[in-house]
Amino acid sequence: MANFNIDAKKDMTYDAIVIGSGISGGWAAKELCEKGLKTLVLERGRIVEHVTDYPTMHMDPWDTELRGGLTPEQKKKHYKAIRSGWIGTDTEHFWADDEANPYTEVKPFLWLRGHQMGGRSLLWGKQTYRWSDLDFEANAKDGHGVDWPIRYKDIEPWYTYVEKFAGISGAPLGLPQLPDSHFLPPMELNCVEKHVKNKIEKSFPGRHMIIGRVAHLTEPLNGRGKCQYRNRCNRGCPYGAYFSSNAVTLPAANATGNLTIRPNSIVQAIIYDDAKGKATGVRIIDAESNEALEYTAKVIFCNASALSTTQILLNSKSKRFENGFGNDSGELGHNLMDHTYRVGALGKVEGFDDKYYKGRRPNGIYIPRYWNINDETKSDTFLRGFGYQGGGGRGGNPANSEDFGAHFKDSMLKPGPWEFFITGFAECLPYHENKVSLNTDVLDKWGQPTLAIDAEFKANEMALNKQIQEDAVEMLEKAGLSNVQGFDNEHEMGNGVHEMGTARMGKDPKTSVLNAFNQVHAAKNVFVTDGACMTSSSCVNPSLTYMAITARAANHAVSELKKLNL
Amino acid sequence: MMDRRQALKKTGLWAGAAMATPSFLSLLQSCKNESRLEWQPVFLIEQEARTISTMVDMLLPRTETPGALDVKVDIFLDTVFAKAYDKEAQENVRAEITAFNDDCKKTYGDVFHQLSETDRIEVLKTSEKTSGTFNKGVWGVAVGEQQPVGFYRSLKSMAIWAYCTSEEIGKNVLNYDPIPQEYDGCVPLSEVGNRWTF
Repeated sequence: MANFNIDAKKDMTYDAIVIGSGISGGWAAKELCEKGLKTLVLERGRIVEHVTDYPTMHMDPWDTELRGGLTPEQKKKHYKAIRSGWIGTDTEHFWADDEANPYTEVKPFLWLRGHQMGGRSLLWGKQTYRWSDLDFEANAKDGHGVDWPIRYKDIEPWYTYVEKFAGISGAPLGLPQLPDSHFLPPMELNCVEKHVKNKIEKSFPGRHMIIGRVAHLTEPLNGRGKCQYRNRCNRGCPYGAYFSSNAVTLPAANATGNLTIRPNSIVQAIIYDDAKGKATGVRIIDAESNEALEYTAKVIFCNASALSTTQILLNSKSKRFENGFGNDSGELGHNLMDHTYRVGALGKVEGFDDKYYKGRRPNGIYIPRYWNINDETKSDTFLRGFGYQGGGGRGGNPANSEDFGAHFKDSMLKPGPWEFFITGFAECLPYHENKVSLNTDVLDKWGQPTLAIDAEFKANEMALNKQIQEDAVEMLEKAGLSNVQGFDNEHEMGNGVHEMGTARMGKDPKTSVLNAFNQVHAAKNVFVTDGACMTSSSCVNPSLTYMAITARAANHAVSELKKLNL
Repeated sequence: MMDRRQALKKTGLWAGAAMATPSFLSLLQSCKNESRLEWQPVFLIEQEARTISTMVDMLLPRTETPGALDVKVDIFLDTVFAKAYDKEAQENVRAEITAFNDDCKKTYGDVFHQLSETDRIEVLKTSEKTSGTFNKGVWGVAVGEQQPVGFYRSLKSMAIWAYCTSEEIGKNVLNYDPIPQEYDGCVPLSEVGNRWTF
């Protein structure tokens, strides 16, 4: 693994600055470096080198003293993120310090963050789906939010471009609402999933159940190895089998010789030059020395993750931008979205007791959206739609068994009953009043203002959730499952970890922050290509779209630089 | 498959000395109950530790495969109480063990680990009936509102976790396959046997 150039001292001037090194920042770095720009990536956390900085990647449960359990100190450090249920000893070092980086929940909101090189690309779910014109036209059609300034045809070549490099496994289906990607071979459904699929597709024409489309390699690609089915992804993959900035885009950027990555760099603000009428650089605080520094560049890419990018923009005040960088519209910080999550159904599947599986597949099933995709599927009770993820496996909780002793112990060692579940992800409308704002009453460890998050799901999302549960129960019952149980774990926004909006793209500078190429309307050398740019939320996982939008914007940035337009 | 055969062989050897009749085993246990603890707890006091040890031994006794005490479930749980619990949780678990033993005294005349095996079995049977159960979970989070399950169910769950995540069980009793390489979504159970190691 090549060492990264982290010496940002000798040079304070670059062609491009990228704020953040997660999924979108990694792509921005790769594209800008490969097109010849001397690029500085500013990362607020530490360097995480692929493989060498994955200390837990080969650990078994008994290799740590508490076997995955956290100490009270670790629980305190992650006192907010722990609510997600995702944090254990094996991944604790990849989750942000909630105490050093506080945020205020005006309404309950879970903000999950990864403050290190690679960001949450080390921790993401790897589900990768293209959006369609059903999504890009949604706002225009029903009048919520503002219209996207792009359509599927604008982004389609960029989906192709990023998929071929990232490596997406899956099977084509030919559905207009979920366009096919360029696929590596799909992962396999297990016997119970195949059984449930057949039953559901027979009983419900128009509904499909497929293996998840995921950014896991099922064949080697560009020197990366294929998935070994360990399902220990969140510790970092020693094979580089799943897409992360650390394994994929940052090494590519580094290979050009044009990359400098500066760790411990907390971006405080983007500097705007009134005379030049554009941004000239960024001001940072060194997280370890508390030193304040300024770096200059011709173009700046904001990829700090949706809310962090918006926090930086809100904090970048100047004579020209008194209410935050590029905030002429007043929409900066507004229209925060996420997907609803943890609503669905589960049940038992009988008749497969003599069957099992081998390997731990880091993937499940997907049921693409089937509501409101045409006139026949139009709902009277809600706008937009939802898709399901889920899966089947042998589980059961032996602790619940009313048995103990020798017989119990022997039976507990055997695989439990087959269980199957689906859980919906519903689209969230862009509401102006769902917002984040700067909070100067609560400062972080470095004395910087923090975010107050004031957002909630509303009537349309609740109506979607109701349908998700009803449909889930109906499908599992029709598929012949027993003990079918619907569930709706009412939860706060943020749990879906799909924060979108707060610096949306749009056609009109009066109602949006960014244009069709993700440039700040009033400062065209500043690009925002992370979740903040999203104009609507679709019901489909967004990361692949961030990748494509970023590559497209970087291409535009370089072409505009060459034309001397920036 | 080969791994598993080796595992069984190894377990057989390892547990060879324990191939004894149940009555012999319980004789051993009752002897041990009167002796002092053979390990030094970090968090638990002696009486609490003996309650926990006796309980996990009854839940997961030694058979052809190792029992909870063989893989130090009690010692591990003491470590968890000491290092993973904050003060409040520590006070809670202490109060729960005390309350459990108070109930044993009230109904059977002594603390749990001092009771006869018959009485102890009755205590556990009653606890099974009076304890709540865990909700089903999706991706590590319980669905619906999880009601408190009480001391017994929660200790049983922890004992199972501690047992299955011990190296001996993880490597030699469950099916240890740290790098499966492939995914096969449908294999005969007979080719696998026990659960895959976590």
